[in-house]
Amino acid sequence: MRRTFLILASNPMSLFGLFLIGVVVFSAVFADFIAPFPEHRGAVVDFTNFNQPPHWPNIFGTDLVGRDLFSRIIYAYRISLMLGVVVLSIAVPIGVTVGLAAGYLGGWVDFILMRLTDVFLSVPPLVLAMAIMGVLEPTLTNGMLAVTAMWWPWYARLVYNVTRSEAQEGYVLAAQIIGASRLHIMFMEILPNCVPSIVTKMTLDLGFVILIASSLSFLGLGVQAPTPDLGSMVAEGGNYLPDSWWLTVFPSLAILIAVFGFNLVGDALRQVLGSDQ
Amino acid sequence: MTALLDIRDLTLSFRGVEGENRVLHGISLNVAKGEKVALVGESGSGKSVTARIILGLLQEQRSTRVSGAVEFDGQDLEAMPAKARHRLRGTDISMIFQDPTSSLNPVYPVDVQFHEVLKRRNPKITRAAARERAADALRDVSIDDAKRVLDSYSFQLSGGMNQRVMIAMALANEPKLLIADEPGTALDVTVQAQTLHLMRDLVERKHTSVLFISHNLGVVREFADRVYVIYKGNIVEEGPTHALFSDPGHPYTRALMAAVPKITGGGIPEIPDRSESFSEPIVVHPATEASS
Amino acid sequence: MSPVVRLLAKRLSISVIVLIGVSMLIFMIARVIPGDPARIALGPNATAEQVEQLRQKLHLEDPIWVQYGYFLRNLAHGDLGISLYTNRPVTTDIAQFLPATLELVFVAGVFMVGLGIPLGILSARYRGRMADNLIRVVSLLGVSAPSFVWAVILMLLFAFFLPLFPIAGQISDTIPTPHRVTGFLLVDSLLDGDFTAFFNALHHIILPAFALALSGIGQAARLTRANMVETYDKPYIEMAESYGFAPGRIANKFAFRPSLIPSLTIIGLDFAAMLGNAFLVEAVFAWPGLSRYGVQVILRKDLNAIVGTVLVISAMFLIVNIIVDLLIAYINPRIRLANGGRS
Repeated sequence: MRRTFLILASNPMSLFGLFLIGVVVFSAVFADFIAPFPEHRGAVVDFTNFNQPPHWPNIFGTDLVGRDLFSRIIYAYRISLMLGVVVLSIAVPIGVTVGLAAGYLGGWVDFILMRLTDVFLSVPPLVLAMAIMGVLEPTLTNGMLAVTAMWWPWYARLVYNVTRSEAQEGYVLAAQIIGASRLHIMFMEILPNCVPSIVTKMTLDLGFVILIASSLSFLGLGVQAPTPDLGSMVAEGGNYLPDSWWLTVFPSLAILIAVFGFNLVGDALRQVLGSDQ
Repeated sequence: MTALLDIRDLTLSFRGVEGENRVLHGISLNVAKGEKVALVGESGSGKSVTARIILGLLQEQRSTRVSGAVEFDGQDLEAMPAKARHRLRGTDISMIFQDPTSSLNPVYPVDVQFHEVLKRRNPKITRAAARERAADALRDVSIDDAKRVLDSYSFQLSGGMNQRVMIAMALANEPKLLIADEPGTALDVTVQAQTLHLMRDLVERKHTSVLFISHNLGVVREFADRVYVIYKGNIVEEGPTHALFSDPGHPYTRALMAAVPKITGGGIPEIPDRSESFSEPIVVHPATEASS
Repeated sequence: MSPVVRLLAKRLSISVIVLIGVSMLIFMIARVIPGDPARIALGPNATAEQVEQLRQKLHLEDPIWVQYGYFLRNLAHGDLGISLYTNRPVTTDIAQFLPATLELVFVAGVFMVGLGIPLGILSARYRGRMADNLIRVVSLLGVSAPSFVWAVILMLLFAFFLPLFPIAGQISDTIPTPHRVTGFLLVDSLLDGDFTAFFNALHHIILPAFALALSGIGQAARLTRANMVETYDKPYIEMAESYGFAPGRIANKFAFRPSLIPSLTIIGLDFAAMLGNAFLVEAVFAWPGLSRYGVQVILRKDLNAIVGTVLVISAMFLIVNIIVDLLIAYINPRIRLANGGRS
């Protein structure tokens, strides 16, 4: 763990990634202290100062009803990160369990679970989330549900592949000979060996969950106003290009920065932990 | 007899995270025209990197530092422009590798690769002409159904067949020097012996010089005219094969010989990882004894 | 039967099973709607009888598996039902909007393969050097933003700031639209022999297709590089180098082709994922594809249209994957010659 961190810190690109993640997480956690206009995260209207280009104190400009864009972006980060964490903390355990069970138990369990996984993987990711969002009410919780539903199969596939190869290893046979239970072998013997791949994928995925969630809200199928959301900000500002460029450019860059940060670190982790697919 | 290949005081080091790591500590060796010289040592002794330095493959990596002289056919390779040196590869110097099957590209049939090799000597050679030449070369290594082999992929052929293909490719451009790096070590012992005999007959007929790199003393004894023993980047003993085998002078050579597994012997004696005596000075057998 | 045909048959049959699975999945998702789809479709002003009539017509009173049975029976006849949003058969709607989307995705795919793979080859060939580092950062940036972000940024830069490309649409209003034969504007204009329309459409498609392709370009470059760097450590590449094959030839031929086999599956998946991402780009560039229709039917809870759209897109997705599998079989002699036969 320490070694991993040291290697990450010695590579300028991953260091930059850690810095970006640091900025994003810090501003999300301490949004109340950083945002110059914390109340602008809600339904505030200030028609004396609407649709203004960047100026002091609105360094990213103001939106169509006069709210500070910078403050809204910081609060949007908070929601995006929370969504990412919640989605992964539900999707990963489900996917891992499915993958472990299918990979280790084999037989009809393997057949049914992996065909089910195939079905989920056969719908383009965004389309599946859209369809789920479509039938549910567009709220934050449902957004999480939709993204989770499209996310777990990837972990099932990943863990399944690792489990299949690990199940042939000597230590698994040894545990079987001792008479360890299947649950013990799956979760205590095989699972620890999947952890590097899972951690790497999770780091990359935190970025991608943010990406997909913003795509949903960009289409109007995600978080609803007045909750600040990067995707809906871009969608809203898109109608006022090019004159009110700040409405789209800053939220766009905010998405790019966050996802790029997670990708830089995830990429470096992948090299360090040697878990290239 | 003038030397075709003359290496003098060659050193090699890799620049790593923890400073420089020296792999070759100034080795000198030469190969005369038509001579078959073996370089013997354990893995990690520096024998394979020597082969790659001769070809100029290692110098292309930025983390390596090479010093010393490598003279080939009267020209100093280290002083040569990179382009001229590149021109020697596959034409005047060619190489055979440890595992023939993985040394052939898995997604191209043999004839495509043979064509590419022949283009080194004659860039304008057509595919049809190359096939003809390749078929002849394959017949030289006792492959009768050359057409079938040329149309095959490496995974469709046996290891021994692939090795013959490699030998045919290596000699197709009439090189002056053949570097054989542990040839066929990945093969069955009998197949390895068979292909080595083929290779020996062919290089003797064509009068090709060979630098034979191996850890297997039994094979070396049968194949080489002269032997260099390398240990941790130093040549510790050299001499004609017969003289060296009948009277190994260096403690390391003796340890290496004791380690050759014998069919009747009781297991494989181990070479100690490190021994004071192994760093003793080089033992040179005079060349006059070379009369076997 | 040749191995490739056998592979095709196997993949096709698996795909049909998966597609049935997808239809069940989407059907189930569509029926768990809170609220009455008939009421939503008819709006608050409809009478109770009207709603009841529609419920009868949609078989909403029956258990879900009976409804699914009706659905399958109709599907077998190529009937996806009537869209409650447009009041037309869903198949008609999709046939109208799908070609524009496919055209966009196809051109984006050309960008993805035509730019991403060469960049990856370059990166692998000069691994560890400046060019490699640059390509790696750029391709990571490419995958780090959703395509609507790229669409907005490209539009701002190359349509507004530097007016090199049109801002929106598939073809200029001043140009008569070619006769609809395939629905693909680029193809139809050529069929008409109308080069003005062709180049106009080409001009319109470049920016949105590039925006859609950017993350795919990055992904393809990264994959190609990763797999090629691995290949460069293989003995057959050392052999090629020791024989003095030209570095460019080693990169483009002897190292590239073996690396392409593991890359292709994922590149295929990314290509297929663009079918979904096209929704985002179409929204930015007002592209007359499936996007607006898809979003509208979702917002209006138009069940038949949702199920139909998802099903058609999934079928496209599976077809792309089958094509990729065949491509792999073609370039991988191990599969092509699986029964020991020789070319």
